Amino acid sequence: MDEKQLREALREWILERSSAPPAALSDDQQPILDEGLLSSLDVVEFILFIEDLRDEEVDIEAIEPEVFNNIDSLMTAFFPAAKKEAAA
Amino acid sequence: MAATRALDASNRTLRSGFLDSHEHYPDHIAVEVAGEALTYAQLHDQAAALAATLDRHAPRGAGDEDGAGLTAIFGQRSVAACVGILGALFRGDGYVPLNPSFPIERTRNMLERAGARALIIDASGESHLEGVLEGLPSGLVLFFPERTSLEGLERFAADHTLVPGSEFACASEWEPQPVDPNEIAYLLFTSGSTGVPKGVMVAHRNVTAFLDAMRERYAVGPNDRLSQTFELTFDLSVFDLFLAWESGARVCIPSQAQKMLPAKYIQESGLTLWFSVPSTALLMSKLRMLKPDRYPSLRWSLFCGEALPADIVESWTQAAPNAICENLYGPTELTIACTLYRWDPHRSREQCEKGLVPIGEPYPGMEVLVANESLEPVAAGETGELLMTGPQLTPGYWKDPSKTAEAFVVPPGEDRTFYRTGDRVRRATSERPMVYLGRVDNQVKVQGYRVELGEVEAIIREEASVEAAIALGWPETAAGADSILVFISDERADLVDVIARAKGRLPAYMAPREVRHIDQFPLNSNGKIDRGALRALLLAEG
Repeated sequence: MDEKQLREALREWILERSSAPPAALSDDQQPILDEGLLSSLDVVEFILFIEDLRDEEVDIEAIEPEVFNNIDSLMTAFFPAAKKEAAA
Repeated sequence: MAATRALDASNRTLRSGFLDSHEHYPDHIAVEVAGEALTYAQLHDQAAALAATLDRHAPRGAGDEDGAGLTAIFGQRSVAACVGILGALFRGDGYVPLNPSFPIERTRNMLERAGARALIIDASGESHLEGVLEGLPSGLVLFFPERTSLEGLERFAADHTLVPGSEFACASEWEPQPVDPNEIAYLLFTSGSTGVPKGVMVAHRNVTAFLDAMRERYAVGPNDRLSQTFELTFDLSVFDLFLAWESGARVCIPSQAQKMLPAKYIQESGLTLWFSVPSTALLMSKLRMLKPDRYPSLRWSLFCGEALPADIVESWTQAAPNAICENLYGPTELTIACTLYRWDPHRSREQCEKGLVPIGEPYPGMEVLVANESLEPVAAGETGELLMTGPQLTPGYWKDPSKTAEAFVVPPGEDRTFYRTGDRVRRATSERPMVYLGRVDNQVKVQGYRVELGEVEAIIREEASVEAAIALGWPETAAGADSILVFISDERADLVDVIARAKGRLPAYMAPREVRHIDQFPLNSNGKIDRGALRALLLAEG
């Protein structure tokens, strides 16, 4: 998946889980936690979903809570290679 | 400053322990919320200022209606909400926590039923305020501790009195009035089987009896740091906040982001006492956060709110090698927790049943009755419904005498009232402690939250316009369930739409994650829908 597809996959997962309309996540800086789109009730399945997308485990001890702020921070933390490719 | 000496032991109320700690440890940190810390002196002064402001703008007097002794807190785990809780208690009110993440209609219903005329609102509550106030009678008094102006709130001013934090009274203006220990300390709404939440009244004498037992057992002191991961609408939050504040300890409240990664939160906060639902430990296990020796700062690891799997305790005790691990059990009606069991790595495994840790012995002064359907005691080692009585037995449900009479009963041969927990247990023997085996009714625990399946079914029946809807806790976990799944028979219903509308009326943990059609409900020999057969259907799917 390229960066755009990954962003879309994350957005779709969050919107489906929260039953929120697409407008609730219209840009990738929009807060996910503050708006209640994602909560600690979802964290296990969300991380497993990210691991599926990455095709490798997340080093949970290496990540900071702030990675869950928005789609941009998720991309930076979990898919740095895709971001680099897009920038190149 | 006004005298704040705590009342004598016989008149202790929920505020007394905080006031004692404030006197002894004014410069210690009382609360830390995502990095923002307040000392006992700072928190005391803010709460005292709010109490004086409540007296000024929402005075209590003769002829008050029922809700006049209650102040609502519309907020999440914020400093302002802590100030709100203490401010309400300082002035002698009980508090009613309302959760901004709950559907607006549900919150409005709770506020209306509680009859509280004063609301303390934090930033998270502010953004949902308009919907909650819609249709409510005018004349409420709204307090905004975090605000220095009322900018943006002008639309509420025509109907209600608004008071920003910058206009609060001085702390020195607070004049403590005696509080009757029989009055309500907090009113908590829990899931109700008929579609409407029930308000559990908890009196000061109930909660001080609980805290006395906890303080003696855990010897928490001013150097301790306690977790507080619960929403204020969950009574386990009372344990964290007030056990810390009775002891001069620090309560460490994580941000929403920190809650996503509990391992970092424990380590960076230097927690010494961990208290959570077992689901949080399960979550940490699934995310590989229970590696050996990860949490050496913990000296107590306490779990409550749902069944505790032995496997999880074994992993946890390796991750927190210096901590003693205990399983606490109790419904809100018996004030937070009322039995406990200490995990012993050498002998506890063999005392578990179905891989679940026993719920153990009652707290001091509490009494257990394990009874059959006629509410007569069963023999040691037999199974029955758990009933309990003692100083933590709450007065019943708010303005609901019929539900109170159903659940708070005098069993044959007894002259005291017991609470029927609805939990099925195996009565203790001399060799084996009491074990939780499940429910006698249709209540489940979803990630630690209590859910009456009947309440979910009532909402789905309305939203899907169907005659029958059957909810199950699914997928099941070792502790309870991860979420709710609902079966309906009408294939015309738009299932995605039904889920979305249910989410608008139920808190996230109660809303179904999945709704399925079923051609025909399986029936049991009495002609009733067979929930067991539906569960078997799901199990067969693997």
